[in-house]
Amino acid sequence: MASNSTSTLHLDNDNNHDDGQNPIPNPNPSSPKTSEESFRSLTINEPDDIDKEDSAALANGSMDPDHGVRDEIEVSGDLKESVPGAEAAVVAEIVEEEVEGPSERSPSPSSSGYAGERGSSGGGIEEADEDDDGGLTVEAGSDSATEMQDDAFMSWRKRKKHFFVLSNSGKPIYSRYGDEHKLAGFSATLQAIISFVENSGDRIKFVRAGKHQVVFLVKGPIYLVCISCTEEPYEALRGQLELIYGQMLLILTKSVNRCFEKNPKYDMTSLLGGTEAVFSSLIHSFSWNPATFLHAYTCLPLAYSTRQAAGAILQDVADSGVLFAILMCKHKVVSLVGAQKASLHPDDMLLLANFVLSSESFRTSESFSPICLPKYNPMAFLYAYVHYFDDDMYLILLTTSSDSFYHLKDCRIRVEKVLLKSNVLSEVQRSMLDGGLHVEELPVDSSVSSGTLSPHLGPPPVGIGGPAGLWHFIYRSIYLDQYVSSEFSSPINSSRQQKRLYRAYQKLYASMHDRDTGAHKTQFRKDENYVLLCWITQDFELYAAFDPLADKASAIKICNRVCQWIRDLENEIFLLGASPFSW
Amino acid sequence: MATTATKSVNAKLVLLGDVGAGKSSLVLRFVKGQFIDFQESTIGAAFFSQTIAVNDATVKFEIWDTAGQERYHSLAPMYYRGAAAAIVVYDITNPISFTRAKKWVQELQGQGNTNMITALAGNKSDLLDARKVTTEEAQTYAEENNLFFMETSAKSATNVNEIFYEIAKRLPRAQPVQNPAGMVLMDRPVERTAGASCCS
Repeated sequence: MASNSTSTLHLDNDNNHDDGQNPIPNPNPSSPKTSEESFRSLTINEPDDIDKEDSAALANGSMDPDHGVRDEIEVSGDLKESVPGAEAAVVAEIVEEEVEGPSERSPSPSSSGYAGERGSSGGGIEEADEDDDGGLTVEAGSDSATEMQDDAFMSWRKRKKHFFVLSNSGKPIYSRYGDEHKLAGFSATLQAIISFVENSGDRIKFVRAGKHQVVFLVKGPIYLVCISCTEEPYEALRGQLELIYGQMLLILTKSVNRCFEKNPKYDMTSLLGGTEAVFSSLIHSFSWNPATFLHAYTCLPLAYSTRQAAGAILQDVADSGVLFAILMCKHKVVSLVGAQKASLHPDDMLLLANFVLSSESFRTSESFSPICLPKYNPMAFLYAYVHYFDDDMYLILLTTSSDSFYHLKDCRIRVEKVLLKSNVLSEVQRSMLDGGLHVEELPVDSSVSSGTLSPHLGPPPVGIGGPAGLWHFIYRSIYLDQYVSSEFSSPINSSRQQKRLYRAYQKLYASMHDRDTGAHKTQFRKDENYVLLCWITQDFELYAAFDPLADKASAIKICNRVCQWIRDLENEIFLLGASPFSW
Repeated sequence: MATTATKSVNAKLVLLGDVGAGKSSLVLRFVKGQFIDFQESTIGAAFFSQTIAVNDATVKFEIWDTAGQERYHSLAPMYYRGAAAAIVVYDITNPISFTRAKKWVQELQGQGNTNMITALAGNKSDLLDARKVTTEEAQTYAEENNLFFMETSAKSATNVNEIFYEIAKRLPRAQPVQNPAGMVLMDRPVERTAGASCCS
């Protein structure tokens, strides 16, 4: 019933009668007697871990009593038969030592000798971000001014979330923290783990060591590893590694593989010179930008006619031999147009916007730079003309031809003229000030919600939360590949709270799209922080967060109202028609 | 109308050199009169234009400030192809950047564009204490390779305008006027004032 196209959550009625009044979360709901498994409360984060545990526990059972640490290895396929338990235990143990155990090397003061090197300076920039990265410990804050950043240092080990990129010969390519070059030994260890499993004809997906999860992603000669104790689901971390790889391709294309074919010991770090900010900004977006796990983009709210005006001039430009014309405001799309049959993947947009926004050099003047859109064509460079109209708004014109700079420059001048004349620039600035949807403005009476509602009239209301304890929501339109997220309101003010909610959504998303158990339609879960409700139909996905005391029946009612509200406003919050997406 | 006697020359100019040599800083000093201590890495290439008045002509520079990063080396021809002038920049405190500059000179000479005016700029001349490349060494190299050489400092604005003026003076005057004269006339008064302020 939930999946039919009328897109109203009918299930609420059934549930109201049954257990709608019961606000207690129920790990194993006994009562859902609806046709679909309607409300499945999950209190277990990673059911698949548990499933696989029997095999892994067998493998490393000998370790558990000694270390008091639960280690799990999940390998795809049939490794559990092919690898003797003892060997698997060794693999887990190596990781455990590196991550949690006492350092096997004494901290060497000389390690700080490369204080000014690129890796450590990149780490330094990020520390401000990391401070609220799930609540970092005091030590991390205290060393933010130092460069003691390699695996010999506790401060480095205490980081909650590491990302590494290395080559299949074990050479470091990138590390979120610390200087890659000083992490050669550590990289070699990671490489050894991966190749050990590969040698038995299998692939390693992740290792669990206590509260740490080590996630591996192998992309030809390039290995990506995340070591995290943030309790994010495996799927989410893996998705983040995929994006980091995508960001690398955007800068270098997949032809970088050829360097490794010629010389397996190739040192790739120099190829990525000057891009630390791009990666640190991407990694930071893993904790605030829903686009990183929704695989959708979001638009700046604008009057339909304003967006149409912007789209018309972009279309005009695209017809003159531009592959993609994208007008953006920070991370939000104002309008975009693709040449016929060219389609742009939301992940490519995310990576492109991140690349442009994090590279200060684009703001200085107009630029012409080779970039690759990994989902469009990972092998080839496109050429990007980038120009900022003001502090936030910029135009990206992509072409396949390396000598069309002057043409693109002319295009930009034309676009700029039209945008000025049709007041798009000023409308965009106004929308930036007004913000997006506020839960406080959710129409209380559904009969009032005619299409005339505009979220941009008057100053944004003071955040007090929406009706029935609604705090926040994200609505993703499946056909449009777009999402809209409400502004954060008063109970979720601090960046720490926002990040926690973001992580909760991320987890919800992963559990709803679990490949093993199949996709779910609805989920209602409750913990000490929130009531979370997720509802997926053929047309959209809705993620909503309520006050933890919110009751289920009214939460469901509100969700229906949010969906109606979005439909009423879709002309303003989404880019409709002529979408080059979702073919 | 008094300007009708002057010629207008469009000149494509490209800056090449190692990472951190100061290409962007030189351009920003020349075009905007600015200097930033921690200039971010250039991505791909940034485009600037600046017009100056030299003797009897106005020269409109179309400047390509290329990225020094290794990954962009293979794309350099895209930017220096058809250029009337090039400034190869190195950092006087960094011998590696001087070696790299020599490679750029070689590459430019290998292109066979004999008309291209090539300047060698030893940047960061304000950092005398840290100097690693002597003036004499660079001067000798420049003479051997038919480059003109200046030591510059984007930070203290030393020789920055001078190097662009020197290039402007050396540009062949006989360059055919590419734009229809009627169009260019509109820009000239503005260009002249911009040029005048640069001279001072």
